[in-house]
Amino acid sequence: MNVKNKPLLFTILAECNSSKARVSKMQLPHGVVDTPVFMPVGTQGTLKGILPEQLEKLDLQIMLANTYHLGTKPGVDILKKAGGLHKFMNWNRNLLTDSGGFQMVSLLKLAEITEEGVKFQSLNEQKSEVMLTPEHSIEIQNAIGADIIMQLDDVVKTTNPDKERIEVSVHRTTRWLDRCLSAHQREQDQNLFPIVQGTLYEDLRKISAKDLIQREVNGYAIGGLSGGESKEEFWRIVHLCTDLLPKDKPRYLMGVGFATDLVVCCALGVDMFDCVFPTRTARFGCGLVMNGQLNLRSKKYEKDFKPIDEECECDTCQKYTRAYLHCIVTVIPVACHLLTIHNVTFQLRLMKGIRNSITQGNFPKFVADFMLKNYPDKNYPKWIKESLSTVNINLH
Amino acid sequence: MKFVVKQLTKGVPRLGKLIELNGKPNITLQTPLVMLHTQGGQVPHITHEVLKLVSNNPHILQIPLVSVHNFKEAMDYFDGAINEFIGSEESICCLTLHDPSNLTQQGFNAKGKVPVWTKNGKVQYNSESYMKTVESFRPDMYHLLSDGDTNQSSTQKRISKAVANTNAFHKECLEIHRTSEKLKDCLIIAPIAGGYSISQRKDCLESILKDDDEVGGYLIDGLHNNGPEVEFLPFSDIEPIVKYSIDKLPAEKLRTIQGCWNPLTIIKLVKLGVDIFDTSYCRMLTERSAAMTFPIDGTEDSVTYEINLRQLRYLDDFQPILIGCQCPACLKYSRGYIHHLLSVQELLGPVLIMIHNIHHFLRFFEKIRRCIDEDCLSQLETRIEIYFTRYQQEILLPQKEPVVNDTIY
Repeated sequence: MNVKNKPLLFTILAECNSSKARVSKMQLPHGVVDTPVFMPVGTQGTLKGILPEQLEKLDLQIMLANTYHLGTKPGVDILKKAGGLHKFMNWNRNLLTDSGGFQMVSLLKLAEITEEGVKFQSLNEQKSEVMLTPEHSIEIQNAIGADIIMQLDDVVKTTNPDKERIEVSVHRTTRWLDRCLSAHQREQDQNLFPIVQGTLYEDLRKISAKDLIQREVNGYAIGGLSGGESKEEFWRIVHLCTDLLPKDKPRYLMGVGFATDLVVCCALGVDMFDCVFPTRTARFGCGLVMNGQLNLRSKKYEKDFKPIDEECECDTCQKYTRAYLHCIVTVIPVACHLLTIHNVTFQLRLMKGIRNSITQGNFPKFVADFMLKNYPDKNYPKWIKESLSTVNINLH
Repeated sequence: MKFVVKQLTKGVPRLGKLIELNGKPNITLQTPLVMLHTQGGQVPHITHEVLKLVSNNPHILQIPLVSVHNFKEAMDYFDGAINEFIGSEESICCLTLHDPSNLTQQGFNAKGKVPVWTKNGKVQYNSESYMKTVESFRPDMYHLLSDGDTNQSSTQKRISKAVANTNAFHKECLEIHRTSEKLKDCLIIAPIAGGYSISQRKDCLESILKDDDEVGGYLIDGLHNNGPEVEFLPFSDIEPIVKYSIDKLPAEKLRTIQGCWNPLTIIKLVKLGVDIFDTSYCRMLTERSAAMTFPIDGTEDSVTYEINLRQLRYLDDFQPILIGCQCPACLKYSRGYIHHLLSVQELLGPVLIMIHNIHHFLRFFEKIRRCIDEDCLSQLETRIEIYFTRYQQEILLPQKEPVVNDTIY
């Protein structure tokens, strides 16, 4: 394929002198994405009551949607008739869809994985058995039309110790990638990302990455983490995978979105993240701040007339006090909208801070300042100190 | 705040304006107007920021006490008025008692007390506790405490108690108002009780009109217990009471009425001389996934009064709710997308419907004012009547259109 016509152009703009962190520009069919990037999750083609107009105003460049949900409702036919999800939901910026496999395994107790695909009992009234194959996942994702789409992978829980099963999943994931690649109909405007598997086994991760990087693709994901493993195990695998994956392509760590994890994993060389956490926690009445989150339901905010975060420039922080939010959270839907606006703004601001500090050459200081805010007594968790020192950022 | 009526003729549709608003000297609000009904200080489903995308004009927010009673604790310490606390400094706030969009539970009336049914259960207000809240909230205008717990089936005994209570609340609240430094610029709306009894209305009016020089306007209260049923209250049932009351009320004062009145009834009430309504009707429709499509200008491409976006026929309908509508929902989103959002219970579904309904209702009131000015309100009435009558007949049909079921993954 001609380089000029590639649906993804990845340009590294700056690199941290100490760690593996880097700032890049990722040109996609629906605009530029500045990385490292956090992508909020708009599962069913909408993000928690927020209008796409509002998200554009926040300068959001890319969001996620879920293939399993959209394939069920509204379904492929409607999506095709609507001219794809961008048009259907009036979002003219970038989208990424997952493969649907993760949802099946996590949401459906009855899912069974065979070489053909993921077999599960449909939620419709007939309770019929349905098979999600790599080909079918790509067919749905082609109809949705996201700028980045994911291969169907064989997901095994990180807490599953059965190495034999995990080894099967690693090889099967590669075979499924090849089936996905040959089923893919829209190479000119949709980027298919493979997913490195192997849970917590370093030797299996190496095999997985080695096999996947031989395929001609524009970026890679690190899957099978953020599923209940210890932080100690988690960071070592991330560190290993970013070493194994090519430097000149974006690396996407799936399902990670807590602020400290984002900061550490940027240092480890990850470019893209997604997580439901910021929007989900908003629904429960929590507002994110640099050193954690405020549970606005708590009575201690009853007479607190400060905004959630005095440094935040979002509409919510400009206009509403913690005391007011305390009165309305979990009572009226609008409260969820207000907190979602803040929490998405928070994630974007954090990522911007990371990018700016890398560009300006002071990322290690940014990391140190951030960690100090979160752990004022300098009682840093072991995994944070270890992971950062591995990439030459030492917390004192 | 001052109310100026264009012509001081009784019993006719009239134009007026609200001027000299506290802290907002450059703002003029034209009547007949519609207050924006709120819950917890927000138009249901729409943040103040999204509301600005719908309308940039200044509005009166109707703040039902029942939805903000838990604000008092904070407001006692807050250095500002209720409009600032709810994040809408640019708005004018009118504190009212019950929420017109929800059915108010009847009964539990004790002498000197009014039950308010909050999400945490029953809270009883007397004149003193009510006025303490008003002082703490400092709204631009407010309703005096009243007993409006009457409807068409109320007994004479209940009605006379409602009048006696309302008369007593009126005196007690006014007494407190007179000595309140905080409320000196605050416009008073005095509720008139009396259910569907002319003689009781007479008693109430006679008692309350004694204080006319202190009052900025009147609320014709006690016609219903709020909630969706108000939509289908026949105008002929309320007409005699409203007409009688307005005849007795001084022409230079505001006349307000609350509730989810349908647009046809609103026009008829405007013709009797009512000046202020509210948007609770928009919320009621939105909660049942319905969007208004009745024509306002007569040029709209619409054959329906309202459409229910849960109906399966909208599954692959990529047209806007109302073709030609310039609201943010119609400009960029399709019926099919809204149908999808509703079928998967996403928050954005009611957001988009509410955006359209509020926009449509505001446009409807603009049209009413223009029609009064051009003396053609009856033409608008006739046009909407055709659509509304057909809609009423359709909802009585035994065959209902299939709608999408909710699914939870």
